[in-house]
Amino acid sequence: MARYLGESWMLPGTDALTKRFFTAGALVFQQCAKCAHVQHPPTDVCGACQSFEFTERASAGRGRIESLTVAHYAVHPALHDRVPYVVVLVSVDDVPGVRVVGNVVNRAPDEVAVGQRVRVCFEEAKDPESGEVLRIPQWEVVA
Amino acid sequence: MKKRAVVAGVGESTYYERGRASESEFQLACIAIRNAVADAGLALADVDGFVSYMDQRNDPMRLALALGCKQLTYTAQPWGGGGNGMASAVMLADAAVSGGFAKHVVVFRALAQGQFGRFGQAGGAGYARGNFAFTATYGLLSPAQICALQTSAFMARHGISQEALCDIALASYHHAQSNPRALRYGKPLTREKYHASRWIAEPFHLYDCCPENDGAAAIVVTTPERARDLRKKPVPILAASQGLGFRDGAGAFNEHVFPTAHKHVVGRAIWEQSGVTPADLDVVQFYENFTGPVLIAMCEMGLAPPEGIEEFVSGGRLLAPHGALPLNTSGGNLGEAYIHGFECVVEAVRQVRGESTAQVPDVELSLAVAGPGFAPGSAVLFSN
Repeated sequence: MARYLGESWMLPGTDALTKRFFTAGALVFQQCAKCAHVQHPPTDVCGACQSFEFTERASAGRGRIESLTVAHYAVHPALHDRVPYVVVLVSVDDVPGVRVVGNVVNRAPDEVAVGQRVRVCFEEAKDPESGEVLRIPQWEVVA
Repeated sequence: MKKRAVVAGVGESTYYERGRASESEFQLACIAIRNAVADAGLALADVDGFVSYMDQRNDPMRLALALGCKQLTYTAQPWGGGGNGMASAVMLADAAVSGGFAKHVVVFRALAQGQFGRFGQAGGAGYARGNFAFTATYGLLSPAQICALQTSAFMARHGISQEALCDIALASYHHAQSNPRALRYGKPLTREKYHASRWIAEPFHLYDCCPENDGAAAIVVTTPERARDLRKKPVPILAASQGLGFRDGAGAFNEHVFPTAHKHVVGRAIWEQSGVTPADLDVVQFYENFTGPVLIAMCEMGLAPPEGIEEFVSGGRLLAPHGALPLNTSGGNLGEAYIHGFECVVEAVRQVRGESTAQVPDVELSLAVAGPGFAPGSAVLFSN
């Protein structure tokens, strides 16, 4: 799937913490290996038990739009021909308390609304520095 | 009850549109400090402490050298974010003089955005790293967009209309019309003009967003004993607080409470320290980089429940002199100048002194609440 904001738009930097989210090809979150606490964005200490050991929790990738904004002013030259675009905040059904920022890729910005049901999809991009294939989580409104 | 440090002096530079200042940012800082120190009836040589927030450029060592301070015994800045530190900085000055670490502490903010770029300016393309990866990858970059995402959730959840945002903007612009220092002086805003203005990031129109400006503002904090013989009536700091709650400040909107203006802990501390209630307030200044988060911050400070906030801000209730609770009486970030909110602190002090250009009668309690965008939040309550 082509990138919502264009192939020249900035890519997520993949470090030890962010890599899985942007490469897994499934919606995955950091989970503490000791106490099973899920935290997003990932950090290097568990906020519940202070463990440094992590595994991951996979989500089925369904959720609800909790908030949105439609950006009309392009804050970067690479976005001039992309506005207006919609940014949503999705509450994930099966991982309570986790919210994920994304774009809705299958509706015009003015057709997106708070409360709509969404499912995850992925846009692919190749990181020119690492050569890594990224699978960036995005969202589709479920009809 | 806390010891009451006092504000002995306030001052500012001329405020300019972005890039229009003829002075350097450091010179603007020196002008504001000189004016605040003169207002207090002190000499620059007497200043022995400096506090700012999010200022990497106008450091206290350079200021002490430029201003001829005899000695410097206290320098500090709060951690984290941006305009959220506006009242934290006052709290640190209070702690310094109340704890005996310094005698006359200047708190200031100077910014010349034309010289150094906009605070909160979106970065270049390339890679979005760290927590930024979870937002910027999706085109969510600017403070306007981030605050818009907070605001539209708040509006949807509580059935709040665009008119409530408009009322915040109208209050700031209304008060700017009586303040010759204000950059929107002589440029009134109407409800029609607000709604006709272009979108920046929905639900924010152009007039929901503060401008970019050059300027500086400062206050002098000291003890009540030292202030007794100074030039102006001292204004006590009745309460000051900085705070965040559980998971407040987690990135990418994963706070425990969403949406938030990071004011739950701050609000509770202000009322506990002071022994007064929100209903006792006479006038308020809320940092409004954007209108929407002011509504959230008002609710978190305990001024009104979310279900009642639209009515609370409507019908001229925010307008001086006789509204129920006048808001941003110098024009605030939107109307006076975006000095990263420190103009709000100066105005809160002037209201207690009776020196505002939109004076509320008989002010006993005057609140200033810092920026909503980042944790920890902060607030300061001045009393007569």
